[in-house]
Amino acid sequence: MNWKRMSATIALIFGAMAFTPLFVGGADHLMHILIMCLIWAVVASCWDLIMGFAGIFSFGQVAFFVIGAYASAIFSIRFGIDPVFAMPMAGMVSAALGVLVGLPCLRLKGAYVALVTFAVHMILEPFLKSGMGRAMGTGGSRGILTIPPMELFGITFSADNKIAVFYAALVLAVVCSVIIMLVIRSFWGTAFLAIKDSEDFASSLGVSAFKYKLAVFALTSFLTGLAGGFYGHYVGMLSTRMLGIDLFVMLMIMLVIGGIGQFPGAILGAIMTVAINESLAPLGSYRPLILGAMVVVLVLLLPDGIIGLLRKFAPGKTEGGQTVAVESGIQ
Amino acid sequence: MLSVTDLDAYYGQFHVLHKMSCTVNEGEVVVLLGPNGHGKSTLLKSICGLVPRVNGAIHYKGMEISKMPAEKLVNKGVIYIAENRELFGDMTVLENLKLGAYSRNARKAEKKNLADVFSLFPRLAERKKQLAATMSGGEARMLAIARGLMSNADFLCIDEPSLGLQPNLRVEVFNIIKEINRQGKSILLVEQNIPQIADLADRIYVLEEGRITFEGDAETAIRDDHLKEIFLGM
Amino acid sequence: MLEYFDVFISGLTNGSVYALMAVGLTLVYGVSRAFNFAYGSFFSLGGYIAWVFMMFLGLRGGYIMVFILSIPLLMGFGYFTEKLIVAPLRKRSDWEVKVMMITLGLALFMDNGYQVIFGPRMKSLPPMMEGAMAVGDTFIANQDIMIFVLSITGILAFRWVLNNTRIGMAVRAVAQNPAGAQIVGIPKDRIFAATFGISTVMVGAGGILLAQKYFVSPMGGWDILVKSWVITAFGGMGSIRGGLYAAFILGMLEAFVGYWFGLNWVLFALFGVLLTTLAIRPQGLMGKWG
Repeated sequence: MNWKRMSATIALIFGAMAFTPLFVGGADHLMHILIMCLIWAVVASCWDLIMGFAGIFSFGQVAFFVIGAYASAIFSIRFGIDPVFAMPMAGMVSAALGVLVGLPCLRLKGAYVALVTFAVHMILEPFLKSGMGRAMGTGGSRGILTIPPMELFGITFSADNKIAVFYAALVLAVVCSVIIMLVIRSFWGTAFLAIKDSEDFASSLGVSAFKYKLAVFALTSFLTGLAGGFYGHYVGMLSTRMLGIDLFVMLMIMLVIGGIGQFPGAILGAIMTVAINESLAPLGSYRPLILGAMVVVLVLLLPDGIIGLLRKFAPGKTEGGQTVAVESGIQ
Repeated sequence: MLSVTDLDAYYGQFHVLHKMSCTVNEGEVVVLLGPNGHGKSTLLKSICGLVPRVNGAIHYKGMEISKMPAEKLVNKGVIYIAENRELFGDMTVLENLKLGAYSRNARKAEKKNLADVFSLFPRLAERKKQLAATMSGGEARMLAIARGLMSNADFLCIDEPSLGLQPNLRVEVFNIIKEINRQGKSILLVEQNIPQIADLADRIYVLEEGRITFEGDAETAIRDDHLKEIFLGM
Repeated sequence: MLEYFDVFISGLTNGSVYALMAVGLTLVYGVSRAFNFAYGSFFSLGGYIAWVFMMFLGLRGGYIMVFILSIPLLMGFGYFTEKLIVAPLRKRSDWEVKVMMITLGLALFMDNGYQVIFGPRMKSLPPMMEGAMAVGDTFIANQDIMIFVLSITGILAFRWVLNNTRIGMAVRAVAQNPAGAQIVGIPKDRIFAATFGISTVMVGAGGILLAQKYFVSPMGGWDILVKSWVITAFGGMGSIRGGLYAAFILGMLEAFVGYWFGLNWVLFALFGVLLTTLAIRPQGLMGKWG
């Protein structure tokens, strides 16, 4: 998708969302859903960047989100740091861990990377509950209960003031989307495509896969951790329940609906998935069943997500985000 | 025996063959010439069921085979011998040959074909237990052809068998192909080495940009100026 | 000292089942490069099938009957799962990621399906053999001996088929060179589905074997998925011998770490070993095909 289309789509989506509080500002629950749409849009977009563009099968996105959330909470509770600073600091912590995880992944192939990054996810819960975790202030199995909200320009961005939080989240989402779009459209983006298609060819051109892959880990972990911190200061409490497989699958559905490598499809995917998830809430324990089935059906039916479907009806110049593969082998 | 009519073939988005037609009669050796990347391999692979997207007709012994998968075609006696051999490196020469006889029809004639193959390729007989990955270029090429013969095929699509071989090995390969033909097999051959072709080929096609630009016998081909241009330019 | 013996036996028994399951996983990945995120749910499937036969339907014939009935069921389940949801993805872009996603969705569906059908509480199965064998001053449970023997038998049988039958040779061929396999007329797609089926049998059998010692529960599969993958990656994806060594090494590690430090530290230890190994040898201990 070219530059103009991408920015137009992003502008359209967020522009439309900007007006929603006018209609539903009073409905507390709906506002919460909208805020979560924006937060997840950031996380899903980051996952799209690392998987769809950089071609790295990272399965640690939720983990970095949780790490960011906990880090920001601990910074502000334990060390009394203003949330406005704690959040980016938490982002840095996530980024640092992202690089740490990324380093061994750089030499590994596909499935191994998925395994290692999923390992981070799986280890996180026992770690947060462990003695070491509790010593750091994670609150063990109980979690953290009293996270101070962000305060800026005299406004308290807490769960009591959802409209303010919504616009703050909107700003966050727009900024992150623009950053991601710039990355995709810049030389980075082209480099990623080259690496993804053929790493050997790319390195022969002097494109250092190492550098770019590490940078992607750092950037996506930073933004995701930032979003996590934002989440923590908004809802005011955290627990390890976020590390359950349900959330992970939900994030996946966002990418499946949005289309992998079809930015800004991930944003649309996030919004639609949160909406679907909410509408399925009355089904209680049947919900994960339906979500699971949905994933299977959607992956089969929507090879390129909603964006791919839309593109069939409104074809334009498609560059960036599409792998042009010369299949020279036998099928 | 084999006739290709108005064939289009695609690799992903690339339209490689454009409504091309050609025939191979029973007992013939037909050579396919042309610049690299213009569809020669694709044609062979299309005939052998190895290209998924194909439009048009391919008739073999009266059957329409354009949509038939490779596994069925091998059973019917059509085999592809790849330019890059595609051997099973971690397996021995003998195992590779046995795998060549995987299809049902080939299995019935396995013992006989194995004996024939070893007499045609004595060097392979010596190296029965050797791992395919440790073979030299020439030996690997021989093994690929031998494995193709194990399929009991009547129609062989051979893709650049002399590529990368020393001159004396090249001669040997072409002699073997002549012998295979003498035993009654029809051969569609992709090649680039012109001098040897003249002796071997019954007919020649030239494929440029996915279309046939020349059809005739070897003498006519050698005397054609345009063709000389292509060959020297290769 | 005596406790160490128990821990050792535990490591050996579990290691043998892990080996069975790791071999199944390395087979599937080595042949078709498909990363089956629902492997844990398939493990539970074995346990639940056994439970349905033994406890719910009250089938006579003991575990022998259970195995005779389950194996074709598991094989069919795996074969058709591959045909229906994995094979269609192969032609798409990013198919490896999509396979991971679709199997993850399947896992969620199956696990919650178990919960809906069987309820969230754990189910137990009777032991294969009662009693224990005396060894010096202590005992080894007959159950453990049976598990060990059956797992090893399963692995050996599998290895025999792989090396001595035509279909085994075809599977090895597809793993080594899918293009070459197609050229000689091996039905690649059927082999992909068949190996998926075989891996389902192996992990499901593991589920049946371990169900008698530990319980069957809807969420019990995730642990197995992670362990199977860690073992396979540690041993080297695509290497059966590597998987075997890895399974026993990590089985022992799990037993001793669990004993000395507690179960919570087992995962850390396993991943620690895996990551250190991958840092030095990215292909695992004996990785070939991957």
